[in-house]
Amino acid sequence: MRHLSSFALRVATASAAVMLVLSLLSSGWVWWQAETALRRQLDITIAAEAEGFVREYEDFGLRGLATAVENYARRRGPLFVALLTPDGRIMAGRMPQAPPPLRGFANLPGTGERPSLRVLGGTLPSGATLLVAADLTPLNADATALAWAAPIAGGAAALLALLLGFVGAARMERRLASATDAARDVMGGDLTRRLPLSGRGDEFDRLTETFNALLGRIEALMIAQRQVTDDIAHDLRSPLSRLRQLLEGALAGPREAENDAEVLERALAELDSVLASFSALLRIARAESGVLREGFSLVDLSALVESCAEIYAPVAEEAGKTLKTEIAPGIALQGDAALLQQAAVNLIENAVHHGGSQVVLRLCPGPVIEVEDDGPGIPAEERAAAVRRFHRLDRSRSTPGTGLGLALVAAAARAHDGALTLEDGAGGRGLRARFALTSDASAPDVAGRGRPSRI
Amino acid sequence: MRLLLIEDDETTAAYVAKGLREEGHVVDHANNGRDGMFLAMNEPFDVIVTDRMLPGPDGLSIIRAIRLAGITTPVLMLTALGEVEKRVEGLEAGADDYLAKPFAFAELRARIRALARRPAGPPAEQSALSLGELRMDLLQRVATRGARKLDLLPTEWRLLEFLMRHPGEVITRTMLLEKVWDFSFDPTTNVVDVHVSRLRKKLDLPGEAPMIRTVRGAGYALSAPGNVEV
Repeated sequence: MRHLSSFALRVATASAAVMLVLSLLSSGWVWWQAETALRRQLDITIAAEAEGFVREYEDFGLRGLATAVENYARRRGPLFVALLTPDGRIMAGRMPQAPPPLRGFANLPGTGERPSLRVLGGTLPSGATLLVAADLTPLNADATALAWAAPIAGGAAALLALLLGFVGAARMERRLASATDAARDVMGGDLTRRLPLSGRGDEFDRLTETFNALLGRIEALMIAQRQVTDDIAHDLRSPLSRLRQLLEGALAGPREAENDAEVLERALAELDSVLASFSALLRIARAESGVLREGFSLVDLSALVESCAEIYAPVAEEAGKTLKTEIAPGIALQGDAALLQQAAVNLIENAVHHGGSQVVLRLCPGPVIEVEDDGPGIPAEERAAAVRRFHRLDRSRSTPGTGLGLALVAAAARAHDGALTLEDGAGGRGLRARFALTSDASAPDVAGRGRPSRI
Repeated sequence: MRLLLIEDDETTAAYVAKGLREEGHVVDHANNGRDGMFLAMNEPFDVIVTDRMLPGPDGLSIIRAIRLAGITTPVLMLTALGEVEKRVEGLEAGADDYLAKPFAFAELRARIRALARRPAGPPAEQSALSLGELRMDLLQRVATRGARKLDLLPTEWRLLEFLMRHPGEVITRTMLLEKVWDFSFDPTTNVVDVHVSRLRKKLDLPGEAPMIRTVRGAGYALSAPGNVEV
């Protein structure tokens, strides 16, 4: 039975056992206390009776005493009284056992039919012995009855504890079983499954909430991963198919050195674009996995953006555009320099490829890198899609690029607890990409100037 | 040159070894880490090319071991795509350069040459570089070709300085991206070509013998006119 291994039942069993042991100990103590008290009471009774007979002796002598003893015995009082001759024979009264003449209290153990006795004996001046005795049987019975109360109560409590244990175990089992079932479903592939909450807000609910949050995270990661796989399948398939057609066509066609060289060059170019996409995907996956965080170091963002601007100003110029910069000095943060550099380059390249005649590159405290162009922009409803992997606006199919540029920037922003947002450029024209980072430098900035006092 | 190639993928190894032999190099090949380490420890080589992942001791272990043994032979490490961040690890272990697979053969060839010509030990502190009539005063930050002063932007300066430190060598675009601008990725635009063409316009005026040469399918080389090396 599964219940036997239940934690709640084990606790209940242990407490029941402890309760039983305690009740046995206390019953022993009660028995001992009750027996002592009853015996003292009995001794007082015996002594009082004996005193009465002694007074009889003092008033009426031995003969008077013998008569009183005889009368008492005939009346069958609660005690046994006997008068013994100096040589130990019963002169008057009754005694279930024949004791030796004794002085003071003594216990006479019972034998067979004869009961155990508590006896008080004393020798009279005449040499006769007066014995007053009480049957110990009712006393023992009373003490035992009292002593039984404790184990009976203890046993009942122990039984109750066991019963509660069973009920608790069953309830816990039910709650845990639903969690186990849900976990099994998740393992079986149903990532949308969540554990039920009891609504009581107890420790089980807290655990369940944490567990559900974990499941949510797993589901999000799995969806993201499936998305990547789908993207790879979708977007690498086209260049790979083109490559295959190219090679197949060349193989079927005539062997001409010049033609072959051209085909091979095109094949290499196609393959290189596949590798570029693949490499970018791996970088995005890496940025999103969060492992880069371990290697974060202080990055001089001002210098990094400045150097990107310097490298890309001539590129923009060649494309007939101008690259303007507004770079705040002395901005640094904890981050991954290579990833930040690539993000900045991707934003600049994006603006240079798709923008109008002017590109503005800004670095503001925050830190925020902004790249603004005066090109056609991206319609508001397409902006969310634009930062997804492999998304290329239809009109940009002819320009170079893997379609992963903004996706990598978005991943880089998330890796630094930031966000990439796309907005209208100045005056509602063009596109402004805001690459906001929140991972702030904890060390003083690299330029050695005081940080702007913003709280 | 005598080269050691440690690579467990037979196809890659055969292709690379064949290409290098055609260039006139002597190539020893080991297909596992143990043999590779043995050869690297016991034979003199000009350059060692090792894969990072190998059966037996891996590339990093081999590099650490030979550096511990005091062998300063330049090492070029090859790694799988997407392991760019492992580059630092490789360089820290004592590798001199790093190339991600898959690579163009021209890229490998250029890097091996650059490593082979590199003077042993750290580069000496030079105050000036010169090649033919081209001179760079690194302290004054003044570059001149003959009597003509070149007006260079900072990026162009860095580009020219790198080329002058590798005179006559073919330098690939990727090498320039990595070593001049510290880019660990391939940008979509032809940044390198743009900068080289701008530098060329300032360096080689019409009528002057050109010093920057474009090597088709590979990269660029800077050499003194009339003193063209391959």
